[in-house]
Amino acid sequence: MSNQVTRQAPILEVDHLNVKYGTFTAVRGISFEVAGGEIFGLLGPNGAGKTSTLSAIEGLLKPTAGAISVCGFDIAAKPLHARANMGVQLQATSFQQELTITEIVRLYARIYGVAITEDEIREKLASINLADAARKKIAQLSGGQQQRVSLLISTIHNPRLILLDEPTTGLDPQSRRYLWQRIEQFRDLGHAVVITTHSMEEAEAVCDRIAIIDHGSIIAIDSPAALIERNLNNPAVLEVVRKGKVTLEDVFIGLTGSAIRS
Amino acid sequence: METNIPKNSAILSALLQADFTTLWRNRRSFRMVLLVPLLILVSWKGLVPKLGGVFVLSSCITIGLTSIGLMGYSNSVARDRDRGIFQRLRVGPVAGWTIMTSRLVVQIAMIVLMTVLIFVVGYFFDHIEISASGYLVGLLMAVIGSGVYLGLGQAIVGLIRNPESVNSTTRLVYFAFIMIGMFGEFGVLGKEVELLATWSPYGTVRKVLAAGLAPATWNMETTYAFFASVAYSLVFIIVGVKYFKWDNK
Repeated sequence: MSNQVTRQAPILEVDHLNVKYGTFTAVRGISFEVAGGEIFGLLGPNGAGKTSTLSAIEGLLKPTAGAISVCGFDIAAKPLHARANMGVQLQATSFQQELTITEIVRLYARIYGVAITEDEIREKLASINLADAARKKIAQLSGGQQQRVSLLISTIHNPRLILLDEPTTGLDPQSRRYLWQRIEQFRDLGHAVVITTHSMEEAEAVCDRIAIIDHGSIIAIDSPAALIERNLNNPAVLEVVRKGKVTLEDVFIGLTGSAIRS
Repeated sequence: METNIPKNSAILSALLQADFTTLWRNRRSFRMVLLVPLLILVSWKGLVPKLGGVFVLSSCITIGLTSIGLMGYSNSVARDRDRGIFQRLRVGPVAGWTIMTSRLVVQIAMIVLMTVLIFVVGYFFDHIEISASGYLVGLLMAVIGSGVYLGLGQAIVGLIRNPESVNSTTRLVYFAFIMIGMFGEFGVLGKEVELLATWSPYGTVRKVLAAGLAPATWNMETTYAFFASVAYSLVFIIVGVKYFKWDNK
């Protein structure tokens, strides 16, 4: 069970993070830590500030204020050191369409300074059940296969921190379960994993802790079970319960409101 | 645990291999980029005695530079930005300049290949002969002149995000450069247009290239054209870098 895993020292530290786009504040003073051996979920409605938070951690976006450190490296002062310690799976499968899977794996291994032989690439592809896809191009793979390749490349350098942006969106149940198992394996090996997701089922199934973000602020942070427990008598949550029993989705909607976001 | 940051040279080497492989797999579009200057070179065979071999070669190379800078470079950058390829690279320990340097090296290799191809076709088909120093200085001027068109391509992808808009804009600019530049220089569009074309990015690069192909003809006007080309390059590059975004959001 995920809750039995002992938390280690923080690998990711986010301290009073602020992100502004012009006059619009997307992230307002968010602070949290993620330790090794922990899967941390970032949940929130569309436009809540999840992607901005993740982009700031990835170094793709310059925060207006606050600090982020990865393995002790400040993302602003030592961006390359911080990025070398993180593996990022982006929402889109953003790989060169003209290259084969083997060529893509080799490219990213070299970018992360990992010496890898052809045999090792074959072994790695076999480990994700894609041994026969070595010479295929990314567009020739199914969504689930693309996500497996993407996760393989994100973790090719054995990073301490793994960032997954909606990793199971659009996948069939088998592929989703497979990815969950892989993510849990990384957690059990001591990696810190951060996931953004819209799936409450996913958050409940794999996350040790979750933070619910709304209007740029963290409005709740705890384990899924503790969040449900704490809101069992919350009138806002009880108002949206659908099947008699409070679920994480009920807590989420109760806390963030039922209004549809853009 | 030790943090492994690869050397920039190792990253550049990996990116170059990937970018050259991509270019090779896209060789059909590369052939299309070469098609227009080569077609002009072949179809102008009868004009060589009238216009001079140097004029014909310099015009074809200028058109080739325009094709590569506008159609090749800017469209490939716009397409890869739209796919998120740059962002995927940037979340790794990759300095932004290595990504762009790799792209530019590939384009410059294309420019060298295109120029040599024009020299070869010009020699064997149009029977245009110039001195060895002319070939060498001409090649060097083609690489220097490419800064204008690669810079212009960068400015377009800096100012325009949508890849379809980039594609249509580059085609429009390409067409305008060829039509106004080429016909303007011939004087068929009037004196004002001729003067404009002579000192436009098309005209200055063509003039520098022509002088490079025949070094003995280099004069003060060529020097002015050279500095004008450098100034165009700088302006385009500054605009292109200042407004460039790595993603489309």
